[in-house]
Amino acid sequence: MIISYNWLKEFVDCDLAPSELADMLTMLGLEVEGMRSVGAGFDSVVVALVEEKAQHPNADKLSLCKVNDGVQLQNVVCGAQNFSAGDRVALARLGTVLPGDFKIKKSKIRGEESCGMLCSEKELGLAEESGGIMILTTDLPLGTPLFDALGLKDTIFEIGLTPNRADCLSIIGVAREVAAKLGTTIRFPGHAPVESGPAIATLAGVTVEDSDLCPRYAARYLSGCTIAPSPAWLVSRLEAVGMRSINNVVDITNYVLMEFGHPLHAFDFDRLAGGKIIVRRAGEGELFKSLDGQERPLLSTDLTIRDSERAVALAGIMGGENSEIEPSTTNILLESACFDPSAIRRSSKRLGLHTESSHRFERGADIGIVTRALDRAASLMAELAGGVVAKGIIDVYPHKVHPRQLRVRLERVNALLGTGLTGAEVQDIFTRLQFQVREIEPGEFTVTVPTFRVDISREIDLIEEVARLHGFNAIPGTMPKARVFSDRPPLRQKVEKGLRDLLTAHGFSEVVNFSFFGVDQLDKLRLGSDDSRRQTIRLLNPLSDDLAVMRTTLLPGLLQNAEHNLSRRSLNLRLFELRRVYHPVAGQELAHEPLHLGGLLTGRRHPEGWNHEAAVTDFFDVKGVLENIFDEFRVRGVSYGTGTPEPFYHPGKCCTLLVGSEVIGSCGELHPDVLERFVIDQPVYYLELNVEKLVSHCGAAIAVVPPSRYPDTFRDLALLIDDELPAAVVVEAIRSQKIKELDGVELFDLYTGAGIPQGKKSIAVRIRYRSPDRTLTDDEVTPLHTKIIDNIVKKLGITVR
Amino acid sequence: MKEQLDALSAAMFADLGTALSEKGLQELKVRYLGKKGELTAVMKCLGTLSPEERPLAGQAINAIKERFEEEFASRLAGVKEADKLHRLASERIDVTLPGRRNSVGTRHPVTLVMEEVSEIFAGLGFQVAEGPEIELDFYNFEALNFPKDHPARDMQDTFFLEGERLLRTHTSPVQVRTMLRHAPPVRIIAPGTVYRCDSDATHSPMFHQIEGLMVDKGITFGDLKGILTIFLNQYFGKGIGMRLRPSFFPFTEPSAEVDIACVICKGAGCRVCKNSGWLEILGAGMVDPEVFRHVGYNPDEVTGFAFGMGIERLAMLKYGINDMRFLFENDIRFLSQF
Repeated sequence: MIISYNWLKEFVDCDLAPSELADMLTMLGLEVEGMRSVGAGFDSVVVALVEEKAQHPNADKLSLCKVNDGVQLQNVVCGAQNFSAGDRVALARLGTVLPGDFKIKKSKIRGEESCGMLCSEKELGLAEESGGIMILTTDLPLGTPLFDALGLKDTIFEIGLTPNRADCLSIIGVAREVAAKLGTTIRFPGHAPVESGPAIATLAGVTVEDSDLCPRYAARYLSGCTIAPSPAWLVSRLEAVGMRSINNVVDITNYVLMEFGHPLHAFDFDRLAGGKIIVRRAGEGELFKSLDGQERPLLSTDLTIRDSERAVALAGIMGGENSEIEPSTTNILLESACFDPSAIRRSSKRLGLHTESSHRFERGADIGIVTRALDRAASLMAELAGGVVAKGIIDVYPHKVHPRQLRVRLERVNALLGTGLTGAEVQDIFTRLQFQVREIEPGEFTVTVPTFRVDISREIDLIEEVARLHGFNAIPGTMPKARVFSDRPPLRQKVEKGLRDLLTAHGFSEVVNFSFFGVDQLDKLRLGSDDSRRQTIRLLNPLSDDLAVMRTTLLPGLLQNAEHNLSRRSLNLRLFELRRVYHPVAGQELAHEPLHLGGLLTGRRHPEGWNHEAAVTDFFDVKGVLENIFDEFRVRGVSYGTGTPEPFYHPGKCCTLLVGSEVIGSCGELHPDVLERFVIDQPVYYLELNVEKLVSHCGAAIAVVPPSRYPDTFRDLALLIDDELPAAVVVEAIRSQKIKELDGVELFDLYTGAGIPQGKKSIAVRIRYRSPDRTLTDDEVTPLHTKIIDNIVKKLGITVR
Repeated sequence: MKEQLDALSAAMFADLGTALSEKGLQELKVRYLGKKGELTAVMKCLGTLSPEERPLAGQAINAIKERFEEEFASRLAGVKEADKLHRLASERIDVTLPGRRNSVGTRHPVTLVMEEVSEIFAGLGFQVAEGPEIELDFYNFEALNFPKDHPARDMQDTFFLEGERLLRTHTSPVQVRTMLRHAPPVRIIAPGTVYRCDSDATHSPMFHQIEGLMVDKGITFGDLKGILTIFLNQYFGKGIGMRLRPSFFPFTEPSAEVDIACVICKGAGCRVCKNSGWLEILGAGMVDPEVFRHVGYNPDEVTGFAFGMGIERLAMLKYGINDMRFLFENDIRFLSQF
């Protein structure tokens, strides 16, 4: 909403500086988002009197003037011819900067000194064209800044209105707020028009057939209008609030729209077939050409204004080309009506036709102001277009809307706001807002809400008004008196935070990618056509194909991040993302949104540095991170399955992560085809975990084994095993032996190469023995160790080296 | 023999006095007191002496031996000390060389802000609550008093999904879900990801909010101000200026926009605050009775307040990030600064 301060002052006395007014409006909830002064910087353009005008001695087309600027006589050389001595003119004093960065300097023109410039309207930005300098009326005092003298100085406020404040979509609406805050009253403009024509009923008729969508329809009739350009004051008013002048009649409807906030429409009566108006829903598929020249198909839910043959306006949204005011128009039917907000909004949205009119009707227009706005526009048309106003108004208003009466309790006001307001203070606030208030019993009031406040229908709405006018900042801050209760955060939140701690400690930095991606990302991952991750949730109105489906895996995002960073020469990366993925669930409205952890590693294992080895990351780095995660959150029974590798991994360097028989994630080296599709040319390792599943296995109980006071003893064992046999099987075979002195097994070496037969590998394990109650002797350990060796040799068919 | 002993003793102590290293000292000890040492040799000759001379000579030898041991110990300690001092004086490293470390990663700034805000509210007794991002119209709009065909819905451009579903446009549906599950009192903070169909230099189609809700008997608008004052002071620093402006949200009434004094210019006016001296930081208000009606709370029995703020905005102000796009570009040179 754009407001002109000068226009506002027509309705309310306010001498606040523009910035003070802006603050006041903002603090009333009418947020001033922008402010612009008109005529600022022109203070040195003043009213001056031409005392002498003589021919320039050295130039035929120039005159040499002596100009009184209220202080002294100045010599000014002027090229215009349209003035004479005794005229009052606009003098730009030395130092003035005119539009176009044109600075007025003392100069010699053909040998004669000139101290200033006599200005035209064009040079002052007051008109597009002008024929000569500006001649002023003789009543303007000499030396006064011109813009002040002409009342052209103004401040334009841009107000960002919240959708509830339909009442402030007008100059008068904002004036009402100013008056309420300042404790003054507003002046209403205009009076009923002089009705010198015949009775309107003999000229025109209105039938409202769909009164559910049109609770009130009023009209006036004017004959003998002359369509002409609007007077300058009207043009400048409209321009000040960002509207373009069209002709006197259309401008008046717009002027009243801005003034009262009520949309009006003027029809060329002679183009209305049958001379009458019918308000009815459109026929399904009916075509309608609106004022903007576009033809649109209508639905039977769109409300139209019709003559006896066709639609002549889309109710509350836009008029039709077939009945618009033309230069030849003389007789006018002026409409002022109210329409159902939802219906207007539905039609306007569907047709993509958002207008000043629809904007107001969909927020709720003031049904009480319909005829007043009509009268105002009719009197202006009589005055400015020479129209003769027919006697009377057609006002189809079957169910009169009475102002709402609401009850408000003082105790409730103070209890909700935390204030100690008195009944008198609350009554005063309502009175300032033009709400009638009556105390029905102590501390209880009946408030009558004017029809322009469509947003106020409940006690709470009135309490908000009290808070607003009292001032939010006048309400003291307090600490709540609340009940104590305990609700321990769920384990999941603890794990989520713990994972971030652990991963950052392992050198991973957190990324945040969009939750949606393009379906092509799934193809890049080599996913099979029946892979469940291809079951995605699709956006109906995505911003682009790249952001069209909800992601089902974190991998593409992390690969894009890797590509972004690698291409910027950040070659050693550890990235993680801990966010949701989204899966549709058959037969259920909501989706499944499990939290996933994705981790990506590439490049060197350690940061580059003078004292670090240059080793590069491999599979066991990513696995080590997972092992630490499982230890940290006490997940027992984890195994690393090699059965069904994920398609995006190197088939020989990956595994699924199982807890018992449940798959909770995977890790591995990414497949070279996948890397190639993401334009990455170095090995990348990845892990992805379903955190919900991780949480369900977290927190195994701790059963403490007291540390032995006696020393341990250990034996190393080198074994030759089949290449295909997982080392973990051997270690587990040793660990699971029922020998109570067995204290631990560690795999400490792996060897293939010289001396080891093809298809075999050598592993070395250290077996630790310890007793809780004595120091074990060699004689005791040897038979235990021999037993272990015998068992695994027998069980696994392996050879001791 | 006495002369022999005197001469030997003189030589022994003279040698001891000139030995400079631990090794030299040990050699002297072997030379004089060792199995084949010179003093040992004299001792072995005692048998050749008369019974009268023998004790005297024995005593003399023992005296020399004891004195030698004493002086040897003290010399040895001295030499060791000198060696240590020499070593300490000569060993030097360049401590300005970087330490041997594992690199440590960083949390994303969005996470940092969420954790910090949640932590402040946890201290005030608020529990973290969560809800689905793929939401139903009822929770995202209807129950929050956004009627269908109401202009308030224009405030939030919505991504729609198949089957009446949408991507939540704010974290407020968590309020509704929480109140439907729990009887009052309620005290939650709900950080989360939200979506709006909008993308330019200052809008991302995905961003983050944190929502707060407190419902109990006798909660007032003054309490809302009190809680927010504590939060803003803890987050932005003590004494930060704050003001509340009337505003409109369908699910609160009265509704307020909360501004803080511009953290860049301290209220003097700058580009960031558009010369107003104030920065809009969060929206808040008293829970609208219509919302209570939807969740089955009695608005005559309980009152409450709700507030919500944009995480990205908090992060940008706190860390001086001038372009929102950095937050989703995931450039390690940006991320590693947090």
